[in-house]
Amino acid sequence: MQVETIRPAGGRPAHIRHDDLISAQGVSVVMGADQNRQLILRDIDLSVPKGSFVSLIGPSGCGKSTLLKVLAGLVRPSSGSVSIAGLSPGEAARKRMIGLVFQDANLLPWKNAVDNASMLLSIADRSMSRSALRARGQEMLDLVGLGDAAHKRPNELSGGMRQRVAIARALALDPAVLLMDEPFGALDAITRDQMGQSLLEIWQRTGKTIVLVTHSIDEAIHLSRQVHVLGINPGRITQSLDISLPYPRDASVAEVPEFVRLVLQLRGMLRSSHQPGGVS
Amino acid sequence: MSKQPVVDISPPQPASGWSAATSSWLPAVILLLVTIVLWEAAVRIFSISSFIVPAPSEIARSLVAQWDTLAQATMITAGEILFGFLVSVMVGIALALVIVRFDWLGRALYPLVVLFQNVPKVALAPIFILWFGYGLAPKIGLILVIAFFPVTLSMLAGMQSVDRSLLALMNSVGASPTQILFRIRVPHSLPSLMAGTKIAATLSVIGAIVGEFAGASDGLGYVIQFASTQLDTALVFAALLLVSVLGIAFYYAAEILERLVVPWAPKFSHA
Repeated sequence: MQVETIRPAGGRPAHIRHDDLISAQGVSVVMGADQNRQLILRDIDLSVPKGSFVSLIGPSGCGKSTLLKVLAGLVRPSSGSVSIAGLSPGEAARKRMIGLVFQDANLLPWKNAVDNASMLLSIADRSMSRSALRARGQEMLDLVGLGDAAHKRPNELSGGMRQRVAIARALALDPAVLLMDEPFGALDAITRDQMGQSLLEIWQRTGKTIVLVTHSIDEAIHLSRQVHVLGINPGRITQSLDISLPYPRDASVAEVPEFVRLVLQLRGMLRSSHQPGGVS
Repeated sequence: MSKQPVVDISPPQPASGWSAATSSWLPAVILLLVTIVLWEAAVRIFSISSFIVPAPSEIARSLVAQWDTLAQATMITAGEILFGFLVSVMVGIALALVIVRFDWLGRALYPLVVLFQNVPKVALAPIFILWFGYGLAPKIGLILVIAFFPVTLSMLAGMQSVDRSLLALMNSVGASPTQILFRIRVPHSLPSLMAGTKIAATLSVIGAIVGEFAGASDGLGYVIQFASTQLDTALVFAALLLVSVLGIAFYYAAEILERLVVPWAPKFSHA
């Protein structure tokens, strides 16, 4: 894993490793009917090792969000299979193995931060008492650095703080996987950097497996262990890039020559991913 | 991770207290007083007959002289409005819940509700008198058919505007439709519902007066009709004034209710 490898476009991995938590094989998604039929994703092979941090990057409309929804069990693939620790995404979701974070924090404006953090858990586990839920919510807020804001309503929180609550809400489920769809996409550049750094620290402290959809090259390289580049028309994984920069990484990682080299390399991959893919 | 300093970023509160209140109300009060003075002067200068347009002073005199009758009529009408309003809100909410929760029933009901909305409901008043007599029932019925619609419509709009990714989150933990309805859709609809409730409060006043016009032996609507047949226009205006006061009172009661129910909802200022 420390050696950077570039997989040829459309190539399948030689084998699925045993420590893979997520594995998708030959996943295609077709949406619409008749004339409007559209191939959103074609023949996606993806494996995410347990405890890894993987980013999906690609141009708008490449289906990276759809791929995340397939992993979350929210979109059923038209063909191919997905397994999360040997379970289907739907089963995994029912076992609280999947934590979701979207671009919009989607907090409930009538609940304070701690109740928002425990909101999904309260539905997933109906046996938990109110005080146990509160305690769990508070614990998660502490983890994301918002322990002091437990009693604030969403309209009293900044965009970055709201997104921290959304992450706390996902973590409260104690999921095996954190699936994040452009979670910092609506934040300003400075907050975005801070959030990325916080996410790295949370990842290292909790050991969760994280799949991050992003359109930021810097973010993908700064945070992840592996980046998959998606191409457009149809959405498919064109290339993958292992990020060999050692952890723990902080903001200064961006000054390392290797970082700059990776940025250039990833930018080149993205450029070629814009070309519609024929048979390859 | 370093602890984020918690900064209070709540928006600045608008200036409160008497000085702010008077300065925001002052223009309206001045305009009202000027209008009353001009009205009084015009009636006196052009010596307009009091059964055509009574002077404000004459309306005030009538208000004092007939106070007992008017006060009793006001209580009756207020009771009808309150009762009718509460029934309208409850029926309106129940209808919205049924339409959202039971898809098939909703698709059957919703077009009919919209169709019914286009019936001129004031024209139903005589039929309600025929069916329910001269008592409280026809007034409540009339208020209900006039006022439930904005409640249903606003609550539906609120319940259907829940963000799709929030629903995805709920589905990801296996939330049932009933859980999504009561834990997300209903609370999410409250700000919108309260807006519809304020409209219903105003419409309830209209419903009560129309009900009394069509057939009643008491209430402000009855006083207005009776006084106009007697050419006691000053009394008509006095009763109208009280109807307006009732309307304003119910509107602000609904607004206070809104602040209690949805303190978290975004507000817009009137200033």
